[in-house]
Amino acid sequence: MKNLLQGINEGLKQAMEADERVILLGEDIGKNGGVFRVTDGLQKTFGPKRVYDTPLAELGIAGAAVGLALTGLRPVAEIQFSGFSPPILDQVICHFGRMRNRTGGRNTLPLVIRLPQGGLIHAPEHHSEAPEAYYCHTTGIKVVMPSTPEDAKGLMIAAIEDPDPVIYFEPKRLYRLIKGEVPAEKYSTPLGKCRIAREGTDCTVITWGAMVHTSLKAAQELEKDGISIEIVDLRTLTPIDIEGVIASVKKTGRAVVAHEAPNTGSWAAEVSSLVHERAFDALKAPVERVGSWDIRQPLFKTEHFYIPDAHRVVRGVNKTLSRVGAVR
Amino acid sequence: MPFTTVAEHKTEHLSVLSADGSFDASVAPDISKEKLLEMYTVMTRIRVFDERAIKLQRQGRLGTYPQILGQEATQCVPALCLEPKDWILPTYRGQGSYFARGMQMRYSLMYWGGDDRGVQYPKENNDLMFSIPVGAHMTQAMGLAWGEKLKGTKNVAVCWIGDGASSKGDFHEAMTFAGVHKLPLIMFIENNGWAISLSRKEQCAAETLAQKGHGYGAHSIQVDGNDPLAVYKVVSEAVARGRAGEGPTVIEALTYRISNHTTADDASRYRSNEEVEEWKKKDPLDRFRKHLLKTGILDDAGIETIQKEAEEYVVGEVKAYEAFDKPNPLNMFANNSEKAPWHVIEQRAELEEILKEKQIRNEIPELPAAEGRFP
Ligand SMILES: Cc1ncc(C[n+]2csc(CCOP(=O)(O)OP(=O)(O)O)c2C)c(N)n1
Repeated sequence: MKNLLQGINEGLKQAMEADERVILLGEDIGKNGGVFRVTDGLQKTFGPKRVYDTPLAELGIAGAAVGLALTGLRPVAEIQFSGFSPPILDQVICHFGRMRNRTGGRNTLPLVIRLPQGGLIHAPEHHSEAPEAYYCHTTGIKVVMPSTPEDAKGLMIAAIEDPDPVIYFEPKRLYRLIKGEVPAEKYSTPLGKCRIAREGTDCTVITWGAMVHTSLKAAQELEKDGISIEIVDLRTLTPIDIEGVIASVKKTGRAVVAHEAPNTGSWAAEVSSLVHERAFDALKAPVERVGSWDIRQPLFKTEHFYIPDAHRVVRGVNKTLSRVGAVR
Repeated sequence: MPFTTVAEHKTEHLSVLSADGSFDASVAPDISKEKLLEMYTVMTRIRVFDERAIKLQRQGRLGTYPQILGQEATQCVPALCLEPKDWILPTYRGQGSYFARGMQMRYSLMYWGGDDRGVQYPKENNDLMFSIPVGAHMTQAMGLAWGEKLKGTKNVAVCWIGDGASSKGDFHEAMTFAGVHKLPLIMFIENNGWAISLSRKEQCAAETLAQKGHGYGAHSIQVDGNDPLAVYKVVSEAVARGRAGEGPTVIEALTYRISNHTTADDASRYRSNEEVEEWKKKDPLDRFRKHLLKTGILDDAGIETIQKEAEEYVVGEVKAYEAFDKPNPLNMFANNSEKAPWHVIEQRAELEEILKEKQIRNEIPELPAAEGRFP
C-alpha cells in the first residue's frame, strides 16, 4: 500500500530512470524534498543537475520550463502551491498552448507543471485554492488531477511522456490521506479517460481530485436512504472524456458536478454545459453544481463551511432527485 | 576607442554596535533615550510573543506559524522610525512591525489561528495586511508611495521583503517605477540567510542584495540587521530622503532566521547547526541589552522589569485571544464587495440553511451572531 504522495514520487522516479531528458525544477524540491516531500530523495538519486532548486520566482520557473523544453529536455516544474501560480499564467496563457501552432508544429513543449491544489489542510491564505478552471480555459494544454495513488503514478508518467504541456494538479489534502495499491512496474494511465469510482443507478456525480472522496462519503449517506449514485472521477479535466461521462449520465438520467472551486465560471460549469448539450434527452432533471461559494476563501477556522462536504453533495443529489416535474 | 567607465557604484555597509555592546559614536544615530527604551521594550515583547506562539502552535491552539526569533530588530526598528500615516507593508513573518505600531497581539494570534477577524491594526495607522504570496506587495508599496507623492504629502512607504522575495520580478518592476518617479519608497530587504531551504548564495549571484538598488537609480545600502542602532540610522535617513523628494532607498539588512521557516518546516534537512549557533552569538536583543547596560540607560532591575512586563502583556494577549467567540461561518460572506450580488446572497442563505440542519443533527454547537457588513 502506498499513499498518493508516494505514487507521484514513484511516477517521477521511474520517468526519470527511463528518460534522462526528464529534469525537475522548483522551489525547495531538492535538498528539502519539497515542502510536502513529494520529491523526497530524488535529488539524492539523480543529483542536483536533474533536480534543481530554483530561486523564488514562479514566472521564472514557468518560462524556464518553456526554454528547457524547446531544447529537447522534458522539464517537470513544481509550483509550491497552486495559490502562488497566478504569475505563471503569463507563460501558460500566452505561450504554453500556442507555441506549437505559432511555429507550424516545429517547436513543441513537452513539459509538466505540478500544482498542489485544494484546501482543508489547516494552512494560511493562498495555500488552499482550486484554480483548475483558469488552466482548463487555456487552449493547447492538458489538465489532469488524480484521486488515487495508482492514478497519481500513472498519470504522472503519462503527463511526462505526453508531447504537449500538461498541468498536473495534486490534491494535497489526499497526499497522505489516501492509500492504495500501486503497481511496481512503470505504467501510464491514459490521459483523457475518466474512471468510474463507484457504480450506481440513480444519479451520476462527476467530480475530480479530493472531491471524489467527499462524494464517496456522500454515496454512503445516500445509500441509507436507498439512493444509489455513480461517481465519475474525471482524472483528466481537459480534454474531458466525453464518452465516459455521457455514458454514465445516460445510464442514471441525472447528474451533479462536485468540485472545490467557486461555481461561477468554474470547470463544473463547462462539464454541466457539455452534459446538457450531449445528453439532454436522457436527463430527468437539470444538472446541479456543488461548489464553493463565490467569495474569498476564508481562513481555516471556517474553511470547512466553504468547501463542500459530503452533506452538500447529498443536498445536490437530493435536489436533482426532487425536481418537480423532472421525470419526463 | 578604448573602453571607458560610464558608471561606478559602491555599496556601503553600516554597523554601529559591536558584540559586547560598545558602539562607534562617530556613526551612531541621534536618538533619544525614550526611543531606545521603546525599541528595547517592543523587541522584548516580540521575543516573548514568538516563544508563546510556538508553544500555542505545538498545543494545537494555533495553525502554521512563521517564527520571528532573531529578526526582532529588523521588524521593530524601521516601524519605529515612522509616523502613523506612513505606510508599512510587512511580510507574513513581520508581526513585530505591526506590534511596533500598536497592533494588539491577540489579533495576530487570531489570524494564525485561522480566524479572519484577526486583521485589525489601529484605525489611525496606514498599516497594510501582509501578502502571503511572496513579494506581491512590492509593486503595491510603490503605488502607495506614488499616491502619497501625487497627493503632495510627505508620507513614505516601507516595504519589507525577504532575500527570497528579492528574486521575484515584482522587485524589478517596483524599483523601476520608484526610481523613475523618485518615489518615497523604502525597500527593506530582511536578508535572513534563507528562503525556506535555499541559502542566500543560491538565491542570487550578486555579492550583496543592496547593490540591486543601483540598477534603478535608488540609494542603496547594506546594514547590520541585528544592530538596532544601525538599522535606526539607515532607515531614518531613508525616510528623510523620501520626505524630501529624493527618491527611493534599497536597504539590505543582514540578519538570520534562527528558527525553522515555519512550524511546518524542519531546517535540519538543509542547513548546519554550526551556522545557526554562530548567528545566535549575534542576537539583536542580547547586543542591544549589553549596550543599554553599558551606557547606563538601563540597569539590571530595569531590564528585568521590561522582561516581566512583556511576559505579563503577552499572557494577557493570549488570554484575550482565547476569550474570543468561535467565528460564525456566515462571517465569510461579509465585506466581499460593497454590495453582494444575487448569487452570493443566495449562497449565504444556503449556508444559513445548512448550518441549521447541522445544528439540528448536533454536528455543530450554537453559533454567535454573524459579524461584518452584508450585503
Ligand atoms: C509567490 C510565492 N511563492 C512561494 C511561496 C511559498 N513560500 C513561502 S515563504 C517562502 C520563502 C520566502 O523567503 P524569503 O523571501 O527570504 O523570506 P523569509 O521567509 O525567509 O522571511 C516561500 C517559497 C509563497 N508564499 N509565495
